[in-house]
Amino acid sequence: MAEVALLEKYLLIGALLFRIGLVGFFTRRNTIIMFLSIEMMLQGVSVSLVAWGRYHNDWGGQILVIFILTIAACEAAIALAVVLSLFHKAGALDIALWQTLREDNQPAFTDPKMPEPRGDDPEWPKLTPAGIEPTADPDEIIHRMHV
Amino acid sequence: MNDTIPILLVLIPGLPLLATIVTAIFGRYVLKENSHLPVVVALVGSFVCSAMLLAEVKLGIAESSKEGSPTANSVGWEVTSNLWTWVQVEDAITTSDVSHAAAATPAPGAEATPLPTSLPFTIEITQRADTLTAIMLAMVTFVSSLVAIYAGGYMHGDRGYWRFFCYIGLFVFSMTMLVSVSNFVLLYVFWEAVGLCSYLLVGFWYQKPEAAAAGKKAFLVNRIGDFGFALGLFLIWTTYGTLNFHDANGVAGVLGQTRLAQPSLIAGFSDSYGAIATAICLLLMLGACGKSAQFPLHVWLPDAMEGPTPVSALIHAATMVTAGAYMVTRCSPLFFASPDAQQVVAIIGGTTAAIGGVIALTQTDLKRVLAYSTISQLGYMFLGLGLGTIAGITSGMFHLFCHAFFKALLFLGAGSVMHAMGGIIDMRRFSGLRKLMPVTNWTFLFGCLALGGVIPFAGFWSKDAIIAATYERGVLEGIAVYKVLYWVATIVAFLTAFYTFRAYFLTFYGEERIPHEAGSHAHESPPQMTWPLRILAVCSLVVGAYFTWTGGFVDFLSKTPSLAFAPLAATAAHGEHSHEAHQLVSIVGTVIALTAIGLAAFLYLGDHTLIGKIKQLSGPLYYLSYGKLFFDPIYYAAFVWPSLQLAKLSYWFDRNVIDGLVNFVGRVPPWLGALLRPLQSGLVQFYGVAMVWGVLVLIVTLLVWPALSAALGN
Repeated sequence: MAEVALLEKYLLIGALLFRIGLVGFFTRRNTIIMFLSIEMMLQGVSVSLVAWGRYHNDWGGQILVIFILTIAACEAAIALAVVLSLFHKAGALDIALWQTLREDNQPAFTDPKMPEPRGDDPEWPKLTPAGIEPTADPDEIIHRMHV
Repeated sequence: MNDTIPILLVLIPGLPLLATIVTAIFGRYVLKENSHLPVVVALVGSFVCSAMLLAEVKLGIAESSKEGSPTANSVGWEVTSNLWTWVQVEDAITTSDVSHAAAATPAPGAEATPLPTSLPFTIEITQRADTLTAIMLAMVTFVSSLVAIYAGGYMHGDRGYWRFFCYIGLFVFSMTMLVSVSNFVLLYVFWEAVGLCSYLLVGFWYQKPEAAAAGKKAFLVNRIGDFGFALGLFLIWTTYGTLNFHDANGVAGVLGQTRLAQPSLIAGFSDSYGAIATAICLLLMLGACGKSAQFPLHVWLPDAMEGPTPVSALIHAATMVTAGAYMVTRCSPLFFASPDAQQVVAIIGGTTAAIGGVIALTQTDLKRVLAYSTISQLGYMFLGLGLGTIAGITSGMFHLFCHAFFKALLFLGAGSVMHAMGGIIDMRRFSGLRKLMPVTNWTFLFGCLALGGVIPFAGFWSKDAIIAATYERGVLEGIAVYKVLYWVATIVAFLTAFYTFRAYFLTFYGEERIPHEAGSHAHESPPQMTWPLRILAVCSLVVGAYFTWTGGFVDFLSKTPSLAFAPLAATAAHGEHSHEAHQLVSIVGTVIALTAIGLAAFLYLGDHTLIGKIKQLSGPLYYLSYGKLFFDPIYYAAFVWPSLQLAKLSYWFDRNVIDGLVNFVGRVPPWLGALLRPLQSGLVQFYGVAMVWGVLVLIVTLLVWPALSAALGN
């Protein structure tokens, strides 16, 4: 009985985590927060897998979790890179800026509360200079305007 | 003997095919002005092979008759060589469906091989050598070699020089295969192939709308005939269970020695399958009508003169148009089984001869005159073939053989005139060319004498043989149809001599006039063109007399299995009757020819005042002839116009109804899609919600559905 009670608790925790992640994913428009929500959903699933593994006395669940962690790490790398480049393009993290996948002739979603897009020449934070200043190739500067 | 014949049979069509391929690949960029060389060399080689084949066949016949084998004497001599099997379908037809099984009571003395219960449908690429094939091959390759040499000069400087020789090679390949295959399906295949070459060559100058239209007309009119031919083949297959000419693998071929050796078979065929025999023959004859330009399908041939003149000489006078006569000769045992069909052949032949002769009287285009005379002469051949006696059939083939020489000569002569006149062929535009073109003049005169039937030229002997055979059947045996046809043939002989010499006098006599298109350099053609003329002129002088005196042609041809089988061969002997008939007919023929020539000379050599009066006197008759008996307008009103209207209706129906339906079906998916388009908002969260809802629906279904069905089940 104790085993079942333990399983139920863990499953509850997993479901809660998943639910929080889901709601976060639906309600937030900040890409990084959405991404974190996804991670949370993954962890919810992982917790239930570990719980089931414990309940069945089987290592399979834990092995799956290891896989999930690994893949989540890869995914994080890719997703962050995507987020970064999206940010460079749009200058903001709002996912509503990216609606171009919609059908032609469909009205765009516009949020009246959305902040104005930034100007053409934003002020980017600069790293504190340290060490010898690298000599930058002027061509490369032109190509990589935003960095 | 049996080793060389198969090789020769492959070489004869193989060489032109090889030359065609070489010309097709290298003609345009490498050979250019020398494109005629491969084809000419191949055709001459092919002719040499044909001559060797002729000698081998003669040798083979001599040997087999020395051995005294009964088959050689009673059912002819043939050699077949099987190259490969093209199609094989096992158990295609059961023998009980085939009259073959009912009628195949083995001849006394022959081994009674039990027939299998079902026969396979096989098409073997089999070539045959018999006397008919050997003669046709020799004739075709000889004329085509000369025409190719001639064309090398005639077509010089044409943009499509290489293309022309490519087609000529392809044509000779198809034609030699046509006469040497031993299967009805293959005959049909090459029948179509020569039709294709004819189409390509008639429309050779495709920039000219008339040429393109003429090619199309030739092709379409031939379709009608070929349709009948195809139906005839189907009927042969269901009746006999085989399409081979020869006998193979325990199956008696349609025209094979085994089948022909059984007289009961032919008789039985005639009695119990009278309607089928007539149907087969009439359908085959329809095919022959299309290819050989017989009434009512003759209208394509005069238009086909839009093609280059060597093509008119080779394809539309000497070789391809005789394919129909060849086929009817090959199938003469079938026609022998159906006397009705035979009479139809003779009537069609006689009618065509008369129509061609009447129309040719008033045409002003030299090539058209020759075209109508070709139609008329082909009519003579069919008249001979429809007589149903060995004398009639051999005389028809003999006329085919002689006609090839002198008609090719006449066309090449006309081409030579056209070459000098800058492409003008209307006889009203030029005259008196005999000083200007001496060689063309005398060779053309030889051709005219042969066509007009003046002793001792070739046409006299062959036409005389046909008319004598008709006389024998009609007057001596008293068959009314043939009696009428005898008179028709005699009158047409008069017309022939008249229109031939009308054309000759108009072209070569009178004051010398040259159309301005010829410029100032109207001259005799180069030697490359005049030497073929000389050779053909000599041939049209000697072939008829030589073969008639020696009797070689008829004896030789009679060794073909189709002609040598007993019931037909039995019609040969009529002894002194035929001799009398020959004498009478040749005297009448000579008188008629000379009268006609005299009349033509009287009318056309002096001033042409009398002609105008005759035109006025004859009135509508003149316009009937000048308007080609109005076949074209009648056909246009009766067939072409309705077809055009039907085509227009179909076009409208296709455009509006069928396309409308298709377009409607095509518009439905976008319309349905438009309903779902708002779903694709491009918002990531919306997609996420849709996904979650979808998963929820699946889960609920999975949980609820079994419970629901269990509840309903209970």
